[in-house]
Amino acid sequence: MLEWLQNTPLAVSVSEDWFPWIESTHVLFLAVVAGTIFLVDSRLLGLTSKHLRVTYLSERLLPWTWTAFVGAAITGTLMFMAGATHYATNTPFLIKMALLVLVGVNMLYFQFVTFRSVQNWDTGRPTPAARAAGGISMTIWILVIGFGRWIGFV
Amino acid sequence: MDLHQFSDWLSNTPFSQSIQVTSWAIPGIQTVHILALATLFATALMFTLRIAGRGLSSEPLQNQAPRFARAIWILLLILLATGTLLIVAEPGRTITNPAFYAKMIMLALAIGITLWLTTVSRRQFGAPAGIHVAAATVSMLLWVAIIFCGRFIAYVESY
Repeated sequence: MLEWLQNTPLAVSVSEDWFPWIESTHVLFLAVVAGTIFLVDSRLLGLTSKHLRVTYLSERLLPWTWTAFVGAAITGTLMFMAGATHYATNTPFLIKMALLVLVGVNMLYFQFVTFRSVQNWDTGRPTPAARAAGGISMTIWILVIGFGRWIGFV
Repeated sequence: MDLHQFSDWLSNTPFSQSIQVTSWAIPGIQTVHILALATLFATALMFTLRIAGRGLSSEPLQNQAPRFARAIWILLLILLATGTLLIVAEPGRTITNPAFYAKMIMLALAIGITLWLTTVSRRQFGAPAGIHVAAATVSMLLWVAIIFCGRFIAYVESY
């Protein structure tokens, strides 16, 4: 299955001709994803943008996050295809994927539980639950980038 | 002493050697570099959008300009510090690499434009003129190209 994937014309083309371009595009998309998320997380932690409402900052930033996330996922998938058999046993890669699942769970919990009371903490210092969500998100994204970079060193 | 000799000398200094023999040091420094570039890129994007009258446009630009400027300069300092460490660790990979020089030239241009825009934005700057929007857009394109060149240092042959 992985070998079939790696031998598809698309995967071969990525690995032979396009890898540096796809990888650079991945870095660009991840910069927008992580950068915008850090700005929101930092607001949730009460560190920056304190004068801006949480809802306002989120609605202005998160569309960029999601668009770039789609781009990062597509370029990431292309890179995975180019070396599927290698990445499937690459420990930092597997840890990175597990961390992405965790950060997704954190985001869903925040969105559907913590965020429901946002009207009470939209201005000023967020509640402990919201600060925890921001701190967890920032920590996991830092690790995602760290393990992502590590993939190439194994 | 030419660049190759300088590069050899630098990579033999005890400090460079100590980074080279620490297995996690280079990916670790690169990670901090990527974290800072991500935050810088997102901040520069918000600054550019704001100059174009979009994004975080709920308050006057001259109130926001010092905050944008402070964030951008702090992040640039982190990028310069980690970038310098990466050069010291692997001078042969960077000092004679065309992608590295292309990156540095574009970095100087991007810093120049950002310096100008942050200075202009601090003053009364009701609706930014077309020239400011154009300059901010050019700076964003430069940041994109800088990110590409940064990654291409790993692929372009040093001379």
